[in-house]
Amino acid sequence: MSGVRAVRISIESACEKQVQEVGLDGTETYLQPLSMSQNLARLAQRIDFSQGSGSEEEEAAGAEGDAQDWAGAGSSADQDDEEGLVKFQPSLWPWDSVRNNLRSALTEMCVLYDVLSIVRDKKFMTLDPVSQDALPPKQNPQTLQLISKKKSLAGAAQILLKGAERLTKSVTENQENKLQRDFNSELLRLRQHWKLRKVGDKILGDLSYRSAGSLFPHHGTFEVIKNTDIDLDKKIPEDYCPLDVQIPSDLEGSAYIRVSIQKQAPDIGDLGTVNLFKRPLPKSKPGSPHWQTKLEAAQNVLLCKEIFAQLSREAVQIKSQIPHIVVKNQIISQPFPSLQLSISLCHSSNDKKSPKSATEKQSPEDHLYVLEHNLHLLIREFHKQTLSSIMMPHPASAPFGHKRMRLSGPQAFDKNEINSIQSSEGLLEKIIKQAKHIFLRSRTAATIDSLASRIEDPQIQAHWSNINDVYESSVKVLITSQGYEQICKSIQLQLNIGVEQIRVVHRDGRVITLSHEGQELQDFLLSQMSQHQVHAVQQLAKVMGWQVLSFSNHVGLGPVESIGNASAITVASPNGDYAISVRNGPESGSKIMVQFPRNQCKDLPKSDVLQDSKWNHLRGPFREVQWNKMEGRNFVYKMELLMSALSPCLL
Amino acid sequence: MGTTCHIMPVAEGKSVQQTVELLTRKLEMLGAEKQGTFCVDCETYHTAASTLGSQGQAGKLMYVMHNSEYPLSCFALFENGPCLVADTNFDVLMVKLKGFFQSAKASKIETRGTRYQYCDFLVKVGTVTMGPSARGISVEVEYGPCVVASDCWSLLLEFLQSFLGSHTPGAPTVFGNRHDAVYSPADTMVQYMELFNKIRKQQQVPVAGIR
Repeated sequence: MSGVRAVRISIESACEKQVQEVGLDGTETYLQPLSMSQNLARLAQRIDFSQGSGSEEEEAAGAEGDAQDWAGAGSSADQDDEEGLVKFQPSLWPWDSVRNNLRSALTEMCVLYDVLSIVRDKKFMTLDPVSQDALPPKQNPQTLQLISKKKSLAGAAQILLKGAERLTKSVTENQENKLQRDFNSELLRLRQHWKLRKVGDKILGDLSYRSAGSLFPHHGTFEVIKNTDIDLDKKIPEDYCPLDVQIPSDLEGSAYIRVSIQKQAPDIGDLGTVNLFKRPLPKSKPGSPHWQTKLEAAQNVLLCKEIFAQLSREAVQIKSQIPHIVVKNQIISQPFPSLQLSISLCHSSNDKKSPKSATEKQSPEDHLYVLEHNLHLLIREFHKQTLSSIMMPHPASAPFGHKRMRLSGPQAFDKNEINSIQSSEGLLEKIIKQAKHIFLRSRTAATIDSLASRIEDPQIQAHWSNINDVYESSVKVLITSQGYEQICKSIQLQLNIGVEQIRVVHRDGRVITLSHEGQELQDFLLSQMSQHQVHAVQQLAKVMGWQVLSFSNHVGLGPVESIGNASAITVASPNGDYAISVRNGPESGSKIMVQFPRNQCKDLPKSDVLQDSKWNHLRGPFREVQWNKMEGRNFVYKMELLMSALSPCLL
Repeated sequence: MGTTCHIMPVAEGKSVQQTVELLTRKLEMLGAEKQGTFCVDCETYHTAASTLGSQGQAGKLMYVMHNSEYPLSCFALFENGPCLVADTNFDVLMVKLKGFFQSAKASKIETRGTRYQYCDFLVKVGTVTMGPSARGISVEVEYGPCVVASDCWSLLLEFLQSFLGSHTPGAPTVFGNRHDAVYSPADTMVQYMELFNKIRKQQQVPVAGIR
């Protein structure tokens, strides 16, 4: 602050001497302050040489007792002199430790210096950096991640490649081994398909259906043998198999059941001819070994034998109206009077002798594959029945048999009830019923088709139902005229083809049962077709406005028809002038007559009966129409033209 | 299954054989058709002495019967007790139970004869034999459609009158207890048992007498 005189301040240190003691009389005895050397000694003792400051290492030069160490030592002017005194006066007691410490520091510095000088040459010693921590975060993190991911992926890929290598090695080994299969692996494969058991030193297998419920007494055992006839010097053939199966001699070759229906009965002398029709073996799966095909063929032969044994047993036991004939390998029965069903077991062995084709009278096309398949199904169903829970008794002590049969004792069933439980039909009866149905069905179809192709007017259509039973099929037959299907649809028949009869349900509700005779169905359809024509005229009359005067499905006049009855209709024109009379019969065809009014007929005899001329407007005589000369492609068309010609135009 | 009624007609002064022939001729004239044969047999067992209590009560009699009308069944009944309907294995069981049930001597009694079907009626005329000798006749009439006894008793009676004449019996005791219950084969066997017992009591072929 200007203008204010400076004040003189004097500073003096409060260098008061420390009081040593205070006398009794108040006099103070002061401690003598330390002399210079004493002070220095005191301070030197307070130095800790174990703590080094940062500046210690930088001084690589000799250890001339750094004055900086004593930076905190007081401000004495005689410091440098004292330093020199310290170094060369080791007997100074308080400086001994200092001296030792300094000496050890020197040693260490010398060592460090030596090490560094050697390392600088890089001949005997090198410096290896210690692993650094992560780079300072200033660097790019994405590169880091990319590099780390690459490394980890490389590691994973390495493992996968190693594994893949191992797998390919094993696969190639397997490929090599497949060509040289050994017995045990082949046996393992065999076990996967067939039941094997070891008896003594032989391996036996079972190819019968006994475990599936069959009761056939054949043992069905095959033996597995080692194939040792291999010459190791020669090249191993492609289909070499170290394992071979030996099947029983009566199951060799291939067999099938041949079911055929013939119309004409053969001569008695032809019975019993062995049908050695060699059917080509069913193609086995390409990868299956030869023992599989062999065993399957043998099992098929066994099943065919069982089917045939069951059929022949039933053929002999069951009483039927026409007895079945069992000769050698053939069963012949007559389902219908003129029909013959023959079931034969065709077993052709694999011998080299040629089949006796000379005795082959029946053509291969006769064979009904459906029935053969059904026979297989039926026998398998029979097998399943023996194993089903209905048969297996609960409790285990109860007798075998159908569950309800076991109750028939305690519940006192009488004979009717017992019969209703037991299924009395055997295999043969079932297959005969199926054959009958097949025959009826095919003949019905043939009849309808022949009629459809033979007769163009009216047309016959058949709609067969897709869903059939083994014993029942159905077909809907429509009789229509071409071009007039919407108008004339009164004849629709539903045919239910059963085992022995055909039941016809008419649209008007009538139910007619036809027998197995083929002629009956044909006659019936022909009569329906003739009725259709007359029905068509009736419907047409409705449409054209003509009046139906009379209509009869079964007329009692005229020539007698051998098939069905003739039907007739009379229709009158809208204004009543004309009338058309139609008579149609299945055999006699159609006859059409037109009635004209009296005044249009020239050759009428005059008589006195009619007084008034108005009576001349009534309809009078009939004149026949030459129907075959009429225009029109079918009956209804011609009728429509006739009707329209007879209806006067109002214009 | 229907309601049946058994009777034991005995003609006066005629042998068993002749009575049977008479009856069958009457039935055939009526228009019934023959449908084979039938057989009902009965064996008697009594409880073994070892199983009797100390009171010494009389052993109960058990009857084991078979009926060809129910070929797979076996009936076992006590006098006034329950009737068991069993499988034919029951016979084998009786062999095993020899210790408890002993067969009475000369106890096998059976009736054999022909079966006639007349619309809903099934008539069985049989000769009751015990051993080699014929002891009587049994006639069984079954009316198929009805299973309740009380409803059709009058109809049965009328039918019996038509071909038996004066020999028609009264209502069987089986009907008496449970009029409206459903008739079962066990009731038939009870009637047979009573019939056989009656015949057994008569020692020789009776000259006269109606049940």
